[in-house]
Amino acid sequence: MKTLEDEETRRVIPGARWDVAWWLTVALVVVGVGAWEWKMRSLGLRAGDLGDGASHWTVERRKIAAGEHDDVVIFGSSRILFDTDFAVWQIMTGRRPVQLALPGTSPRFLLKRFARDADFDGLVIVGVTPEAFFSEFTTAFPEYLTVNDLWREESPSQRFGHGVGLLLSRYLAFLDDNYRLGQLIDRVDIPDRPGVRRPFMEVWKLSETSEDRQYFLWPRLMTDSRLLAHAKSVWLARSRPPAAAELVERICSDVGQDIARIRARGGEVVFVRPPSAGAYYEREQIVAPRAVTWDRLLRVTGAPGIHFEDYQHMQDLEIPEMSHLSRDSATRFTRAYVGLLAELYPWLDQRAVAGSAL
Amino acid sequence: MVFNSLTFVVFFTVLLLLHRMPFSWTTKKVNLLIASYLFYAAWNPPFVILLWISTLVDWLVARRLYESTRVARRRAWLLISLAVNLGFLAFFKYGEFLLANWQALMATVGVTWVPPEWNIILPVGISFYTFQTLSYTLDVYLGRSKPLRSMLDFSLFVTFFPQLVAGPIVRPGQLVPQFAVPRQATRDQLSWGLGLMTLGLFMKIVIADSGLAQSADLVFGAEKPVGFADAWLGTLAFSGQIFCDFAGYSTIAIGTALCFGFALPDNFRMPYAAIGFSDFWRRWHISLSTWLRDYLYIPLGGNRGSDARTYVNLMLTMLLGGLWHGAAWTFVVWGGLHGLYLAGERWIRARTGVPGDPAGPWNRLLLALLTYFLVNITWVFFRADTFAGAARILQGMGGLAAEPVAVLPTIFMIKVAVLITGIVAIQWLMRKRSLEEVVARTPWWLTGLVAAAMLLAVIVSQGSGEAFIYFQF
Repeated sequence: MKTLEDEETRRVIPGARWDVAWWLTVALVVVGVGAWEWKMRSLGLRAGDLGDGASHWTVERRKIAAGEHDDVVIFGSSRILFDTDFAVWQIMTGRRPVQLALPGTSPRFLLKRFARDADFDGLVIVGVTPEAFFSEFTTAFPEYLTVNDLWREESPSQRFGHGVGLLLSRYLAFLDDNYRLGQLIDRVDIPDRPGVRRPFMEVWKLSETSEDRQYFLWPRLMTDSRLLAHAKSVWLARSRPPAAAELVERICSDVGQDIARIRARGGEVVFVRPPSAGAYYEREQIVAPRAVTWDRLLRVTGAPGIHFEDYQHMQDLEIPEMSHLSRDSATRFTRAYVGLLAELYPWLDQRAVAGSAL
Repeated sequence: MVFNSLTFVVFFTVLLLLHRMPFSWTTKKVNLLIASYLFYAAWNPPFVILLWISTLVDWLVARRLYESTRVARRRAWLLISLAVNLGFLAFFKYGEFLLANWQALMATVGVTWVPPEWNIILPVGISFYTFQTLSYTLDVYLGRSKPLRSMLDFSLFVTFFPQLVAGPIVRPGQLVPQFAVPRQATRDQLSWGLGLMTLGLFMKIVIADSGLAQSADLVFGAEKPVGFADAWLGTLAFSGQIFCDFAGYSTIAIGTALCFGFALPDNFRMPYAAIGFSDFWRRWHISLSTWLRDYLYIPLGGNRGSDARTYVNLMLTMLLGGLWHGAAWTFVVWGGLHGLYLAGERWIRARTGVPGDPAGPWNRLLLALLTYFLVNITWVFFRADTFAGAARILQGMGGLAAEPVAVLPTIFMIKVAVLITGIVAIQWLMRKRSLEEVVARTPWWLTGLVAAAMLLAVIVSQGSGEAFIYFQF
């Protein structure tokens, strides 16, 4: 009988001057990463921009499960993300809502699970981006389809890796999902065959993100006309068919049931329609006219709503790429809608203690 | 835990430092064992229990097998091991598949039966460690080796983290003797190990995930028929993706083990330069193909019987090899096609006397390209979720799709063309040479430059921690 030692694997190690080879490698990598970091910073990326993704969302969702923040939660698409300033919330209400809105995603499927699974009895704010809300559309990002399960099932490895990633993002600007090497290559503007979905026409970097998923419009968009023009052209290229009356009715009915569940356990739901502008706004009037979508939603669900068109102090806001507010305008808009919320829900009002800060 | 994650970077660094501390050899092995359990538990902690059960059962069974002299008793002990190991595999991996097929079978005889909802999570790497522990028990049963004396060594053999979840599938004899004496990587071993890890990460993150995955996903995810160019480029992209994903994993595993002073066997040797299918299977997933050869094909009789029996054995081995990859008939067809290719090649060689490596470089190149072409046909069934999806792609590849749609952007087509040409050309040039030979002949500054370029590409590509394809098997 042969012994185990007979089969023992041995590996050949190539003879080379490994010490100097590795020193060269390390030196080149340090110089290369340094140069890349410098280049990315020159493009407007910033260390401390924490990015966003499914793991970021799960961190926020777990705050509710842990009872840390159990009074205000925000669902929605990207607009309510970009247009909400937590510092204003903190000053006006003494609270920081849990931000569960997801870019490029309809809030309806998340709201449904939240209504069924959670025991949350606080205030749910639902940001409405008409084209996303009143359609069959779910999300442009498949990874978001599973966030509702991921926040419970995320592996220890994923959680730890997310923490390390956040730590590195505080010091390195180039760690930005929008500026990966592969993405930069894919965005080369070369002609495509008719009907092909062009990587060049994907959404590029629009935001900067900090603690608690605080989004703001990326400052470079305010100064770079090429990026701004690209963002606008992307929005205008993504048209959807007008919402059918039956579909709107079904959506309103479904959402009404979700709201009833939340109310049954003592919670409240309020809709917020953040502003849009220009040709995007004009298209929304065709695809999802207010009278048959927003107004119908409020009527069927019985929930209150704040529509930017209805308030003077929500006008003349700066919307550089027609869909998301500039940082200053986000602060103004938040101040306006939180003020209205405080009238609806007096338990939110902390302005008496805020004093001159406002 | 996946290799292409920040968690692994921290895990590897801490463990390597611990391994180089002046602890006793037993303490270092305990460290490695605990780390291996952590490595597995970092994905889903409860499933470590499966590893413990598998380890305990095979440890006890192998000892009883060795001590028993009665054939019936030895068979009974072997059956216990097979029942536990294959039982886990059947339950977790094939449960839903079996129920769905049973439902379909009942429907054909007019019985309506709805199976219970199956929400069982597939434990990562269960097919790999099941085969690894089975090889130990089977070796003892077949009298090929004695049972181990040290439970610690056996536990480490089952669980050794570099190859735990996606191979290479290691035989006891290849790894266990290395646990007997203290091991710490020399500076050259550490350097080469880190070099292999860099290469593997480059293959996974830069080539497979950033370069090719999107094209394969777009084409195989298309709901309408795709045209000739899209179908071929999507399939070629998948051929490169799965190679760089899986060979990348194996390369990182081998490099990681080497950093701790351990040697793991090769799992890939330039498979897309294979001339014929017996050559392909000597180059692709070597640890699985040799496992199937030694524990399935040869026990079935191998080529010792009649020609017909040999062909049957070949087909059975490859069909089961296909099923090992996944609980779907598409994988069985993939294995079946490879079985047919192997049988066809054997038949042609027997009648024409064509040698395995024909004379003339152009003949060799043409046969290698023909082999690669036929391998790509099999990848369609491997990648497609359904037979309808596979048929759609094959129609496109044959130029037979009705009203095909274009799905691949120009930049993706360029990436696939460049990367696949590069992969095939490099494999062809290195067909008879190992990576070690090539590196040994390369000037140190070029080695350093290439390593730097790969590492830099890995860093600026920012791998998003995509799981390796073979984790699901």
